[in-house]
Amino acid sequence: MNGTIRISLIVSLLWVICIGVLPQAAAEEKTIIFGAYTVPKDAYEQAVIPAFIKYWKENTGQAVKFEQSYEASGAQSRAIAAGLEADIAALSLEKDISRLKESGLISHDWKQNKYHGFVTNSLVVIGYRPGNPKNIKEWDDLKRPDVDVLYPSPKTSGGAMWDVNAIYGAGLKLSEVKTGKKDYTFAKNLLKGVQKRVKVMDKSGRASVTTFEQGIGDVLVTYEDEALLRKKQGKDFQFLIPESTILIENPIAVIDKNVDKHNTRQIAEAFVEFVHGKSAQRLFAQYGLRPVNEEVAQEFKEKFPVPKYLFDTNYLGGWDQVGKDIYGKEGVWTKIIEELATDK
Amino acid sequence: MRSGDALLRSASFGYIGLLIILPITVMIVRSLQGGLSALWADITLPQALFSLRLTIVTAFIMVLINIVTGTATAWVLVRYSFPGKQVMDALIDLPFAMPTIVAGIMLVALYGPRSVIGSFLQGHNIEVMFNTPGIILALLFVTFPFVVRAVQPVLIELDQDMEEAAKTLGASSATIFFRIVLPSLMPSILTGAALSFSRALGEFGSIIMVAGNIPFRTQVASVYIYGEIESYNPQGALGLSVVLLFFSFAILLLLNFIQYWNRRHEN
Repeated sequence: MNGTIRISLIVSLLWVICIGVLPQAAAEEKTIIFGAYTVPKDAYEQAVIPAFIKYWKENTGQAVKFEQSYEASGAQSRAIAAGLEADIAALSLEKDISRLKESGLISHDWKQNKYHGFVTNSLVVIGYRPGNPKNIKEWDDLKRPDVDVLYPSPKTSGGAMWDVNAIYGAGLKLSEVKTGKKDYTFAKNLLKGVQKRVKVMDKSGRASVTTFEQGIGDVLVTYEDEALLRKKQGKDFQFLIPESTILIENPIAVIDKNVDKHNTRQIAEAFVEFVHGKSAQRLFAQYGLRPVNEEVAQEFKEKFPVPKYLFDTNYLGGWDQVGKDIYGKEGVWTKIIEELATDK
Repeated sequence: MRSGDALLRSASFGYIGLLIILPITVMIVRSLQGGLSALWADITLPQALFSLRLTIVTAFIMVLINIVTGTATAWVLVRYSFPGKQVMDALIDLPFAMPTIVAGIMLVALYGPRSVIGSFLQGHNIEVMFNTPGIILALLFVTFPFVVRAVQPVLIELDQDMEEAAKTLGASSATIFFRIVLPSLMPSILTGAALSFSRALGEFGSIIMVAGNIPFRTQVASVYIYGEIESYNPQGALGLSVVLLFFSFAILLLLNFIQYWNRRHEN
């Protein structure tokens, strides 16, 4: 045989072998597409997901790869609804997962478990400059004319809604504690007073923290997990837990349409079960996220004190009610923005 | 040859149609979906109107500054020679190459409270960052190349005979510039101005970093539109977008008219 022909035959043979072998290798390894919000990125990327990959390999012999996307919760939710084929969504607020249920991507009752669909908790806290030079003690201090406040825009950041809900809800809760009834005017005035002092409204919670670190503002309304994460990274981030604040509950759900399409349901459901397990919950706690698992919560109760007048979204009527009451066309926050404009 | 011509023409039209005309048409049609009165209601919401006014005012102020600084820069680049001229010429286009978000971060780092300039300004109670001056600064940065690059080629081509004649007749430099050079440059300056204005109307990335984005205070139209999209009000977003589109289109027509008038004037 001619030399050239021989070489071409060998190359073709090698090529066919490679093509034949590679898909086999790929079939061994499954890929899970994971869409989450930004705050728990380090926790998932560095700890929880590697732990699951190890656990899954040990228990089933199967290799799993995670393609991870971390975006602002609302943006991530919209992306998944628009076609990002995430197998699992771990977002900041329930509303962002409900949206996926409404669009038909999730067909099971994702809240139907011991934890009502939530994987981690957190709190809205008040961050201040080291040493607390402005002597910030409570929400009321954020109304002071000598204090500049930062929090992101609820319009562009679902996470920011936690902040505004916390302030408004604290007004309701504190007035209820004092008088026995929720005083809506008192709560509105508290929120209005704080909003008046807001200097910059960033696009997202993360952007807000960055702006604060650039030296702008005296006070940053943010989430405890964000604050603890900064501390873990070595930054001197000081904050206080207000007497009354909102419980941030972060949901996680398997996305039925995508797992059935990718044939990854078994792994995805195992992952959701895994993150509720004690080892994963402990990992979350180490990264500043409050565990939902009661036993683990007990183990970490020193690290995560419970505020005296804690309330949750249900206290405000649930997300749909909040969407109308606070952010709707006639909502409290919308009205406050308009009033502040004309007050000037 | 003929069929090749027709093919090229239809391909070009097809490309423009798909890329530009189709999306814009869809946008306009969608915005009218709720009816004209709903559209008008969305546009005339106080917050929307304020953001629109802020966008136009800041863009306009920026253009006034840009006309002067852009022309001056072009003048220096064309009429003088100095070491590093090539480098400076290349640097002019830097804002085009930079992602606008990066431009925003850079401006905050440069003028924010932690910087030398920033703390100096704060000490004198001059609010630049997270206020209207900050917006204008961001706009100046991203639109800087427009006026310069519009004026530069015209200046290069400019016949200096008239200037020299004027000089020999005893005219001062100022007179020479304002009465002889400037009129010739006017069309290109206006072109650059129109381009910067158009660009400024839609600027988002840098502004969202430096503006503060407080509704009714420092929130520009693009940020308002983004907020509406992110809070499930795409109709509201479309309304103001169509208005911005209208302004941009008007600028484009103006640009074309300037160029047409210029060509006629030359002959």
